[in-house]
Order: sequence, then C-alpha cells, then structure tokens
Amino acid sequence: MRDSLNIEPTSRTPAVVFDFANNHLKIAGESYPEDVTEFYRPVFDALDAYLGAVGQGSFRFYFELIYLNSSSAKAVMMLMDKLEAAAKDGASVDVYWFYDKEDDTMQELGEEFGEDLESATFHLEKMAG
Amino acid sequence: MSSDDLFAAEEQVIAAAQALIDEGRFAVPQDAKLYEKLLKDYQKLSRASRRLMRLSDRNEEQLNALTKEQRQANEVIAQKNKALDALATKLSKYLSPQIYHSIFTGAQNVEITSSRKKLTIFFSDVVNFTETTDKMESEDLTNLLNRYLTEMTNIALEHGATIDKYIGDAIMVFFGDPESRGVKEDARACVRMAVAMLKRLGELHAEWLELGAEQPFHLRIGINTGYVTVGNFGSDDRMDYTIIGSSVNATARLEFHAETDGILIGHETYALVKDEVNTEEQEPIKVKGFAEPLRCYKVLGLYEDLVGEGSVIREDQDGFKLLLDLKKRDRAEAIEALQAIVDRLKQ
Repeated sequence: MRDSLNIEPTSRTPAVVFDFANNHLKIAGESYPEDVTEFYRPVFDALDAYLGAVGQGSFRFYFELIYLNSSSAKAVMMLMDKLEAAAKDGASVDVYWFYDKEDDTMQELGEEFGEDLESATFHLEKMAG
Repeated sequence: MSSDDLFAAEEQVIAAAQALIDEGRFAVPQDAKLYEKLLKDYQKLSRASRRLMRLSDRNEEQLNALTKEQRQANEVIAQKNKALDALATKLSKYLSPQIYHSIFTGAQNVEITSSRKKLTIFFSDVVNFTETTDKMESEDLTNLLNRYLTEMTNIALEHGATIDKYIGDAIMVFFGDPESRGVKEDARACVRMAVAMLKRLGELHAEWLELGAEQPFHLRIGINTGYVTVGNFGSDDRMDYTIIGSSVNATARLEFHAETDGILIGHETYALVKDEVNTEEQEPIKVKGFAEPLRCYKVLGLYEDLVGEGSVIREDQDGFKLLLDLKKRDRAEAIEALQAIVDRLKQ
C-alpha cells in the first residue's frame, strides 16, 4: 500500500489528500467533475487498498465540501458505505463532516449521512472562518 | 408538496414490509433475514433519493440566484460602460484623436515619459487677429474663432496631423507621432495640409466678412522638420502630450517670418518635399539657440496644382526628370534650352 494519494484541486474537482501513513484522509473543495466516475475511481481504489489493510486500526476521514452535484453526492454515499463497512469490521473510524456555517443544505446532508452511520463515529463541524 | 408527500408511497411500502416482519409472517427464519436486509436497503435507497433530490433542487436554486446576480451585474456594467463612453467622448474633444486613440487602446500609458523623434512641426497664426476682431461681440468672436479652428482642424486630421494645441488663434500640430508614415511622407503631408488650409481660408473669407469681421483672416505658416522630445510633460495630476526642443522654437520663428498667407519651411523640410513642392529660397533667419542663421524657403505651391494651372511643366520618370517653372523662366528661353537638349540627343 502506498503512503499517500494527493490530487490537486481544480475549479470542478476537490483536493484529495489521503495521508495513509498518518491515517488522515481528506476530501475538500467543490465537486462537479465532468466525469464523476473517472475522478472518483482512483479515490475508491486507493481507499479500498487502505481499508483492506487497516484491519482493527483507527483512522479519520474529513469531508470539507463546499459544493457538490448529485453525481458527486452519490460518490460520497459510496465512500460513506465503505467507511461504515470498515468500522463494522472492527476498525475505529471517525468521520468528520465540515460545512459552511451559512450553508444549511450541506449541514442537513451531513446530519443525514451521520444518521446512516452505525459503527463509524460521526462528527458534524462548522468550517473555520 | 413536501418531501414526505412525494415519498408517501415509498413510506407505505416500508411500513407494510415492516409490519410483515413484526407480525412474524415468515415461516423460514432465513427468508425473514433476507427480507429484512432487502427492506433496509430499500429504506437506504429511499433516503438517498430524497437527499439527491434536495441537493439537486438546492443547486438549481443557487444557479438561478447566480444567474440573476450575473444578469443584474451585467446591467450595471452596461450602464457604467455607457456613462464611461459618454465621458470618454467628452474627454476626447480635449485630446488629439491619435493621442486619444493610443491612450484608450492601451498603446500608450498616461505617465510622465518622453522619447526623441524626428517630426515635422507646423505653426500657424492669424495675422493681426486682435485688431481684426477687436470690435466684434464676444459671442461673434467665439463663433468665428471656433469655426476657423474647426475648419483647420478638420483639414489637419484629414492629413493625419496630431493636434498639439490651440493658443488663442494659433495652431500647433505635428506629424510623425504617435503614428508615422516615414519622415519624408510626414513632411509632405504637412506641407500639403498647409496648402489646403490656405485654400480653405480663401473660401471662408466671404463668410467671415458677413459675420462681422472688418477684414478677412490672413495666415502665416511655419513648417520645420527636426528632432524633438515628444511625450507627456507636466505633473502626475495634469499633463500635456506635447513636443519640446529647439526645432519647435525654430518653427515658431519661421512662422513669424512667413509672409501673409504664406508658408515658410526650414531646410530639412525643403529637402524632404522638394520633389513635390515648388519653393523659393529666402534670406536665412536668425533663431536663438542656432549658431548659424536658418535657411528657409517660401512655398510657391504643390507641383500637381501648378501643373494643373499650366504654370509648370513637369515630367518625372525613371532616368528622366524635367521641371519647367514658367513663372521663373521665360517661355522662349525654355524652348531654346530644350531645343539644345534635343539637338544633343540627335547627335
């Protein structure tokens, strides 16, 4: 397994910073890629490889999304499923959902994602600033 | 309709399925487990649908708001642009069109900078302007002067001149900056412009007399070519795009020494225009800053005009040039000289 996955943000895609060595994984920015599958495939692959090896270990996943389209929302749900499955298998998983304090929709979306998580620990937080 | 109403049918399905499980209606426990999982997935799918629908609605709403904002911003920009255009049009009247154009297209910066260039400079002055207009009412004088300056400016612009400034009735223009057609063509354009101005002045005499001027306007014109420093001079807050240098002073002196309704040109201008312009050398004039008196030439007319009038015969071909000024040379003498040439050719 590699130590990290870093994808630079663009105007349409978020930054992906998976620091596997320190067990900190983050997706931040706006997400409305032209081809959502093409963008998220390497993200899923890297996460699958990491989760396959994490076992009973612990890690944190940070979502800091400002805007996402419907396809990206589906991709986020799939990520959540993977995190929940890992937690169910014994890993200690903390999921952080950061939202803009003026964006009710992203807050509500976070709350609902949190409700779906049974094994992973969910944290809903306002973005700084 | 709320989100709950929209998903009422799905909720009914979920409730009915849950009732089946609660009532223990499955004989085989494995079937019950499978059914439970199916129901859970269906509930999850239903929740996902609600989220996606809400997210999609939110995004559409934001997009509409942004579009509206953009449209309003565009309207404001359009209004501002219109006001700016109107202001620029007003401002343009205070600037030479070339200078205005070069500033507004960004070709030239509005800052204190200058460069040295060879330009052809033109000065004109109305002879005895004060005496001519002294008894006129202010309004008539304004009309007369503005009409004169407008007519002369139109001719200047037609010939590609850069208007430097008006000093009362005096006009200062130059050729060669910010646009140049080459030093020679710039000098020729300047002399052609001066001739056109005098011609137009003659046409306007009658009109001015009618307006109340006791005697028609008469001009003196000086033209000179030389190196000058051209650029923005002044302070950061108020500057003029103008030219400075001894050649400018020399042009003013040439204008001062010109005959009434006459054009006096410096030697360098003469050298550049002599193929097109008939001239007569005058007594050199002394100019401050110049060690030697300046050679100068009176413009007698453009050859193309003089040929049309019949006072000049001119042939200009490759390897053969002939210029016969019938005002300077007796016709019989000219024939004799030409006959001698023909005889030599026949030998």
